[in-house]
Amino acid sequence: MAEPLTAHPTVAEADAHAPVAHIEHDTNTGISNTKLAMWLFLASECLLFGGLISTYLLYKNPLEGPSGADLFDIPFTSASSFVLLMSSLTMVLAVSAIERGDHHRMRIWLGSTALLGSTFVAGQIYEFTAFYREGLGFTTSRFSSAFYTLTGFHGVHVTVGIIMLVVLVMLSIRGRLPEHRSETVEVVGLYWHFVDIVWILIFAIVYLIP
Amino acid sequence: MTTVSTHDPVPTELLDGAEKPYSRDKVYVLTAVFLAVLTALEVAVVEVDFVLWSGPMLVPVLLILMAVKFFAVAWIFMHLKFDKPILTWAFYAGLITAVLVYLGMLTAFRIWWPGAQDVEPGQTGA
Repeated sequence: MAEPLTAHPTVAEADAHAPVAHIEHDTNTGISNTKLAMWLFLASECLLFGGLISTYLLYKNPLEGPSGADLFDIPFTSASSFVLLMSSLTMVLAVSAIERGDHHRMRIWLGSTALLGSTFVAGQIYEFTAFYREGLGFTTSRFSSAFYTLTGFHGVHVTVGIIMLVVLVMLSIRGRLPEHRSETVEVVGLYWHFVDIVWILIFAIVYLIP
Repeated sequence: MTTVSTHDPVPTELLDGAEKPYSRDKVYVLTAVFLAVLTALEVAVVEVDFVLWSGPMLVPVLLILMAVKFFAVAWIFMHLKFDKPILTWAFYAGLITAVLVYLGMLTAFRIWWPGAQDVEPGQTGA
């Protein structure tokens, strides 16, 4: 029988020591309910973003106002995409670090992920501002409404992810994220990677395909 | 117990719902390099006019690159390769449902017909 969680000491500054084995989950699947629920949530998010992308495809040709081809800055968006891709690397390295019991590295990688995510969001805000100055408001055309809704929803998802990352760093600093709770970091990581793969779709479908 | 270094795979007893040990960090870095190269290739496909992907081949090439990147992140970074298959099925069920539902919706809106997107409000598009 698994020992109770309270038997584990908190490990605020005990970096790079022996990792603690996961407590066996008493579920039919052998997977924690939290992790399974996150995967099911991500599956449902496929339907949300599928709807937004489909709507964009239907309305991508504006009947009035500027089109995407007139406004998109492909080199700038490519750099943003690269930043978000690299944030997936830092996130998976953070998960890897906590699974090895290395809190110090985990905090560094989580901080890096939050920083890269913030850079991406800042780039998106800059892009929206530039488009607005070019005359593309939210209600300018059906294209602009679909574009801002799709990319804005994604930006909100990234922002929520950044908040979760910052909370994880604070929990770790306070010693409330021991190795046997590394699953918490992994679940946040799953969300973050999903945000990344949604951007992979948006980058190709919205920005690259003519 | 000794510390697991970044050069070793993470053993399954340290993981939640895993069937195989998770990768060494080197594998994640190589995957990221692979993704960066694919992203550069995507941009090159759009910016550089080349016989292999010009004209009608442009969109299929971009969609293939996009799909490879998508599944590389899901398979390696999200650990679907190492975790129990139920997680893969749970995610793909949502993904496949979404693809089928929205392909049906786009077909109902006649998106595959030329000029269907240029229809003015109030017109039938016929």
